[in-house]
Amino acid sequence: MTVKMEASAGGIPHDTVMAYGLIGSLVGIYLTYLNVLSGTEIFSFFGGLAAIAALVWGANTIKHLCSYGLGTGVPSAGMIALGSGAIAMIFASRYGMLAPIVAVIVAGILGAIVGFVSNKIVNMNIPVMERSLTELSIVGAMSLMGFTAMLGGTFIFDEMVAGTSTFLGFVFADYGMSIIGGSTLAVTFMLAAIALQHPFNACLGPGEQQDRTLMLGAECGFLSMIPIALMSFAFISFASAVIALLVSVAGWCWTYVQFIELSKRDAYAWLDAKPIHEPKGGE
Amino acid sequence: MENILFGIGITAVAGALATIAGAAEDTESDIGSQGDPNSQVQLAPQMGFIHRIYNKAISGEPPAYGLWCAIGAGVAWAFMAVQVNAILAIILGSLVATLVQGAYATTAYLGRTASLANFEQPVYIDLIRSVTTVTMAHAFVAIFTTVAMCYLMNTALGHPFPLPLLALVWGIALGAAGSATGNPFYGKERQYQEQPFGAGVSISASGTIVRYGEAGQRSSLDNGWFTSKMGGPASGICFGLIVFFELWRTVIFEHMAGGWGAVIVGVVLIFIFMALDRYIEVWARKTFGPYAKPEEAEATA
Repeated sequence: MTVKMEASAGGIPHDTVMAYGLIGSLVGIYLTYLNVLSGTEIFSFFGGLAAIAALVWGANTIKHLCSYGLGTGVPSAGMIALGSGAIAMIFASRYGMLAPIVAVIVAGILGAIVGFVSNKIVNMNIPVMERSLTELSIVGAMSLMGFTAMLGGTFIFDEMVAGTSTFLGFVFADYGMSIIGGSTLAVTFMLAAIALQHPFNACLGPGEQQDRTLMLGAECGFLSMIPIALMSFAFISFASAVIALLVSVAGWCWTYVQFIELSKRDAYAWLDAKPIHEPKGGE
Repeated sequence: MENILFGIGITAVAGALATIAGAAEDTESDIGSQGDPNSQVQLAPQMGFIHRIYNKAISGEPPAYGLWCAIGAGVAWAFMAVQVNAILAIILGSLVATLVQGAYATTAYLGRTASLANFEQPVYIDLIRSVTTVTMAHAFVAIFTTVAMCYLMNTALGHPFPLPLLALVWGIALGAAGSATGNPFYGKERQYQEQPFGAGVSISASGTIVRYGEAGQRSSLDNGWFTSKMGGPASGICFGLIVFFELWRTVIFEHMAGGWGAVIVGVVLIFIFMALDRYIEVWARKTFGPYAKPEEAEATA
């Protein structure tokens, strides 16, 4: 078994982060259903906020999993989360209104299987492996579903494969212009995967602090929302996409400034155009 | 016949775009210290060597470039769907991807450096201003050329994949080409110039990266000058050849042997390149002499 090296002690307990992340992402995804109830697409941006709740939770999970000496494994954890989560998310999207809950259950089962294989068959022997990969798989499914709901205003499969194109004023059904047919789902996949692994990968080291890492998680989430808001111009109404873009940019600016403040707090020194500082006892 | 001539023309243009993309990608990643040499930049302060080198730990280059190119292509695809001109859409998509890359780069540097406070490594914010913009400029070139190349494959050659998926796949290939071909120049040669050439880097030398230049202190921008001469062009040739041969064999041999022609030519090409690589390796060993044995190296040290 590898030795556990906890990067930072204290902070919010992981179970609390998990509870907020799970409930926040489910509530956020269901809030996009207001689109159907109100007959508009104005509530799409709640999908992005749901994804951020999941990503912050996932960043904390990766921190726990990768504190067992998995330095170069941090980006891989993001990929495997989205890989198993994407299967669950697409499968669950067939279940209409129940899709988010089905996604959580299916992703949990898939993650547990992946965790069992990694720990018992590949023999990685990390105590928190099964639980972490189960959580990460749910995080992957929730973040992908949230971003997809933000992109097209829906998390229902039939609407994700339906697109239209216009030729000489006539509107035609065109699978190639849909969320899945146009492969914009691939973009959301990568946006969520890199945003999930980046917070701990960027903050790892002996001086890692939970609040800084999780703030970076939120920053990455809002940053991912910006390209999704821009892509959503192809799928939802102009006003809805503009609102999504404004929410994304405002959220990103706030979290980015907060992250810089926290980095300034934790840094050894904050120097501008100064020579290399040679420590005492160094060269 | 005209179809094939047209296809060959597009293949040549795509290969040229890929060559530029490869050179720009490797220069970008070396200036920012991304990829495998990054581990030494991360390790140096822990060994007592405080430095002014950028620390752009985003992920491996292949996933990172998969994301940048996918964002560029995804936004371009969406803008084209709302009737924006293709070239303008690709430029705007690449611009958005570049801004995302820049934001990721700064948070990676700040996060990693702040977590090294125990080892007295300060954050040099002038580095963020000077280096980030240079990596963003190179990233824009790499993303724009890759997305433009994918657009050509999609529209001119009729590739069945949609533009964002095609850009994701080729972005991963671009990152892999730059990481595998260009990084050894930077990691093994540039970071360890005080080590004897060809000796390899021993474990005891880990983290003792070159921090001072001929005049003054070295910043990551100096890596751009070095890489644009060595690793960048090598990566460009690598990625350009990959794209060129991939399209060339498909355009010319696709209809031969019931569709298997392109696959057979692909396998033959792999064997030809294996033979060439082996020849170059043997030639280099003979020309530059055998590596010194460890006992001899210790005796002379």
